[in-house]
Amino acid sequence: MVHFLQACMNGLLTGALYALIGMGLALIFGVMRIVNFAHGSFLMVGMYVSYLLFERLKINPYYGFIAAGIFLFGFGYLVYKLLIQPIRDRSDFMQILMTTGIALILVDTAQLTFGADYHQTNIDLVNRAVHFGPFTLNAASLLSFGIATVFIVGLREFVVRSRTGQALRAIAQNRDVAPLMGINVTRIQGFSFALGIAFAGIAGGLLLPALYLFPSVGEDYTLKAFVIVVLGGMGSIEGAAMGGLVLGVAESLTSTYIGNQWALAIDFVLFLLMLSLKPSGIFGRQRA
Amino acid sequence: MKELRGAKLWITIGLVALSCLPALVVENNYLLQVCFRIALFAALGLAWNLVGGYAGQLSLGHVAFFGLGAYGLAILASHSVPVPIAVLIASLLATLVAALIGKIVFRLRGPYFTLATIACGEVLRLTATNLNITGGAIGLTVPTVFTGPMFWKLYYLSAVALAAGCFLVNFWTANSRFGYYLMAIREDEDTASAVGVDTANYKLRSLLLSAFLTAMAGALYGSAFQYIVPDNILTIDISVQMAIIAMLGGAGTLLGPIVGAILLLGASETFKTQFQESHLLIYGILIVLVVLFLPEGIVGGIEQLLRSRRKAAKPPAPTPNQSPAISAVEKGN
Amino acid sequence: MQGKISLILISAVAVMVTVGCQKGAGNTVKVGAITSVTGSQAAFGEAHKNGYAIALDEINSKGGVLGKKLELDIYDDQSKPDQAVQGVSKLVDQDRVPVLLGAYSSENTKAIIPAVTQRQIPLIIPTATADNVMDSKSPWVFRICAGANDYAKATIAFLKANGAPKKIAIVYENTNFGQANRKSMEAAAKEAGMDIVAIESYEAKSPDYKPVLQRVKQANPDVVYLCSYLLDASTLMRQSQEVDFNPKYYTSAGTGFAAAEFPTAKGAGKNAEYTFSVSQWLPAVQWPGSKEFDDAYFKRFNSHPAYHAIQAYAALHAAADAMNRAGSLDSAKIRDAIKSLNLPSTPFGPVQFDAGGQNQHPVLITQVQGGQYHIVFPQDAADAKPIIPAPKWNERK
Repeated sequence: MVHFLQACMNGLLTGALYALIGMGLALIFGVMRIVNFAHGSFLMVGMYVSYLLFERLKINPYYGFIAAGIFLFGFGYLVYKLLIQPIRDRSDFMQILMTTGIALILVDTAQLTFGADYHQTNIDLVNRAVHFGPFTLNAASLLSFGIATVFIVGLREFVVRSRTGQALRAIAQNRDVAPLMGINVTRIQGFSFALGIAFAGIAGGLLLPALYLFPSVGEDYTLKAFVIVVLGGMGSIEGAAMGGLVLGVAESLTSTYIGNQWALAIDFVLFLLMLSLKPSGIFGRQRA
Repeated sequence: MKELRGAKLWITIGLVALSCLPALVVENNYLLQVCFRIALFAALGLAWNLVGGYAGQLSLGHVAFFGLGAYGLAILASHSVPVPIAVLIASLLATLVAALIGKIVFRLRGPYFTLATIACGEVLRLTATNLNITGGAIGLTVPTVFTGPMFWKLYYLSAVALAAGCFLVNFWTANSRFGYYLMAIREDEDTASAVGVDTANYKLRSLLLSAFLTAMAGALYGSAFQYIVPDNILTIDISVQMAIIAMLGGAGTLLGPIVGAILLLGASETFKTQFQESHLLIYGILIVLVVLFLPEGIVGGIEQLLRSRRKAAKPPAPTPNQSPAISAVEKGN
Repeated sequence: MQGKISLILISAVAVMVTVGCQKGAGNTVKVGAITSVTGSQAAFGEAHKNGYAIALDEINSKGGVLGKKLELDIYDDQSKPDQAVQGVSKLVDQDRVPVLLGAYSSENTKAIIPAVTQRQIPLIIPTATADNVMDSKSPWVFRICAGANDYAKATIAFLKANGAPKKIAIVYENTNFGQANRKSMEAAAKEAGMDIVAIESYEAKSPDYKPVLQRVKQANPDVVYLCSYLLDASTLMRQSQEVDFNPKYYTSAGTGFAAAEFPTAKGAGKNAEYTFSVSQWLPAVQWPGSKEFDDAYFKRFNSHPAYHAIQAYAALHAAADAMNRAGSLDSAKIRDAIKSLNLPSTPFGPVQFDAGGQNQHPVLITQVQGGQYHIVFPQDAADAKPIIPAPKWNERK
């Protein structure tokens, strides 16, 4: 029983970061229906930004992630204006192709700039653990969890309470009617995309102490992000948060009881199951 | 219309004959290998074109069939099945798997479909990495179809033959009722279904054809390089390459994938020698440029140009405002 | 439209020009090398390149090969086996090199064996631990490094001489390297009559191995044998501490556990203490010239070499020596010269290939003590005594 709970707790810690990534994609894919196959690559950029700040300016990633988020907000907005907006109304095909191209550019540029070497940031916090009762939790993971939760709740409040957030949801529900309500669709869409990318950057910064950094580190996360969005249900930010937690726990339990090498496979199995059985996801409202 | 088709056929027969030329002229094994790759990826692009171009279903999981062909050959051959038969059986097995996959993924649309295909490819890769029969991450040796000093020439010719076969399948599809139904599905699946086209059936058929050809290419590729590992033969990169080749050249056209293969692989080899580490970057930039400025691909762009010139030449007859899907179905009926 | 046609033409011309320019100048001798300059193994490919570079300068400063300057023709296999095969074709068929070195990983190396044998070109393998690489028994293939079986045997021999523990667990990453080492240790442990209590694989590059370590802990082994690359080693040690996993011996198949950074703050830091590892080479080893190699490498590349670099270095030196002794660029003669090669004291230890083409490279066992690697086995090479058992985590300072 202890092991089960421990595995669940570890899963929740990782899941919070997954939730951040998923929520970012939910903003982009769920709300804007833009198929962003470069999401993981933006995460990677966020990691490198945090890494640079750590290596050059000795800024701890647990502060540096903010800078990563801000940088990626601006960068995401730029990418949207230059590359995504022109093809906004084209088919999904084209969007997938375009974002795949963007991903290739980002990954190879990272490789040319930083080399293919693996990097690791060693922060003391990563080596400390918090013990309570029979359970042990990694201190750094706990901190990430805490910060991620703040952002998750913050984003949800923003989407539900603020004017911009409501505009976002209006566009998600019905893009054609939204302008009639006085919503500047173009501006909100650009903002939404940038915000989604910013969240990827934040997640990257928070993941940096836990992961190895190399140019193609983001690729797995693009797929995970889509799995999370599907799990949680299209168009639902809270759903994505839940989806992230569910995925984290599922991976952890698979790792504990079946084997670590199948943990990645569980992502896909859950994905295919969800799409086949309940395509609208756990919290979803729209048709897949 | 008919004479145009006839002329096209002669041109393509001529092109096929021309592509056999390198086998006679080139002595350099390295160049032959490059040519082999180009021809093989032309075949792959054409095979993908059936599903992605004509049916309009963006599959990024085709590497599953590619790998199944290669692994099938390797495993069957290690059980003393003669190589040519093993290639055939492996390809048929891949087609069977395609039927299974099709049942699952074709229920989905748009990006969900694409993601599901990616998931299938990745599941296969993970499975191959973890099973003993596939050698795990250590991989398997693949027997060769040909031996001797003419090795690469024969492989090149086989790749050309396969590409020609794929081309013929494309040609037949483009001019058959089957093809028109596929194009109807591509333009507007709901309308096509409403007009009575059995969309699930036709989509599946295109996948089965495509899978069979892809698997043959996979077996050929594996046996040419004689050693396969999951990360190499079941990687999503190959799926992406297939799609990009077809789209760069022009998805849904006959010559598109061929042009795409020559361009992309030729450029990749050149850049690899000159710019070693940045060929992926150049790939990415090419994709972005094509999507922004040439979305129909090269051949598609040319065809559009010719079409608009022809339209300008004669005044358009008044046509009812009809869905392209219905037009396609009508053409087929 | 015009642009696209031009692009095609330019590409075609470029290919032809590149091809045409491959005629080497008449007054240099070329040796071909295939390694992973880009791709997932690029870090090791770079180690190879650097090792080759140092050897190249040394050889040329002593008069080169056959009185001419030696040049290295490097082909990037992008960490992919089929590209490695293509590399053989380019280097041998097109550039006409008489001898090949490479590749980096076991699967890339295994892939090029048929190609090399077919063309009857001698190949010296600097780094490929999976033993199936030598399965083909090709008379053209020579391996300078020790293999996974040697790793396992050396570890078992060390254990037998130091407490003879009974229960062993194997934890390995799910890659070619990991799976090959797991196979070797499974066989060696069985042969030694040890009890294999757990075999666990993990997906490399994933951040959480705690479930794996938890399961291994429950099996209560005396020894754990870890097969990991680079950074996984650091994570494994850190998480072993977290789950409070305390076997008497932490042993490993090198690589991650033998990296220069592993005992430092950039690696596992204090968690690395007391871990044993197999090693093919250390800067501190007693072979003549190894310290100088380390210094030269550090001066030039600003980092300390892992053993992959010196394997490349030794391979190039062996090739040059063979070519000089063969007195010609004929591949068959060079191959025979490699067969009869005998370099008893290089910075990589004695180099001599047996009848199967394998260099009986001695495998050392090191232990991290006080943040430094010390050689603890075999006795005649040891510079410190092994500390056994590893103190429990909560007993460490």
